[in-house]
Amino acid sequence: MKIVGITACIAGIAHTYIAKEKLEGAAREMGDEIKIETQGSIGIENALTPEDIAEADVVIIAADIGITKDRFKGKPVIEIPISLVMKSAKGVIKKTHEKLER
Amino acid sequence: MAVKAILDKEVIDLDMVAEDKESAIRFLSELLYKAGYVSDIDGFVKDVFVRESEGITGIGNHVAIPHGKSDFVKKVGIAIGKTKNMITWESYDEQPVHYIFLFAVPSDNENATVHLKLLSELAGKLGNEQTMEKLEACKNFSDLTKAFE
Repeated sequence: MKIVGITACIAGIAHTYIAKEKLEGAAREMGDEIKIETQGSIGIENALTPEDIAEADVVIIAADIGITKDRFKGKPVIEIPISLVMKSAKGVIKKTHEKLER
Repeated sequence: MAVKAILDKEVIDLDMVAEDKESAIRFLSELLYKAGYVSDIDGFVKDVFVRESEGITGIGNHVAIPHGKSDFVKKVGIAIGKTKNMITWESYDEQPVHYIFLFAVPSDNENATVHLKLLSELAGKLGNEQTMEKLEACKNFSDLTKAFE
């Protein structure tokens, strides 16, 4: 599965980047391809390109702040608080699989 | 610049003595003050606790990452303390902590982008299971820099 996503926390200092790493680790463990864009205090990094989004099977937005979703029109979008990723990134990826396979 | 460039021996104590969350944050804040990262201990501690009230900073595996965006921070830095005993802390895995990474970030961070980027890279590594295992085995500053290589 190809996953793209965004992480963003309130302060944009730590959780944003930890959640990215956790999602990537969990997805790769399950054999998925993943690219996560971070929206933090240093701005947007690892930005998703229109190609990334077009090729993706699903979009995961793990954010505690408002994120513009116009880019993801037509794609299944899963929106969750960043705490879910912090608690269990593997659980998030597993649930994503279940949802898409339904 | 490599992530380890942001690690500063002056603000790292892997034999920290602290009974509770308050004293751990205060101890690390004092290190940051002595090393010239923050200008006012009480003011900085207060800002760290404002962030603490907004959400959980215990990230699991007995690690906590309190962070203060504060007017009392002169330069971006990260104080690290490890205690022998476990300290009660609100955590995602509901476990206490013994490794505390206190991030100091200035309120106005326009001129701090390079260091903030290093800080974000270091935070990212804390989300990596292999790095966490290495951290647990660190005995001194040199081990710590290797864990973050």
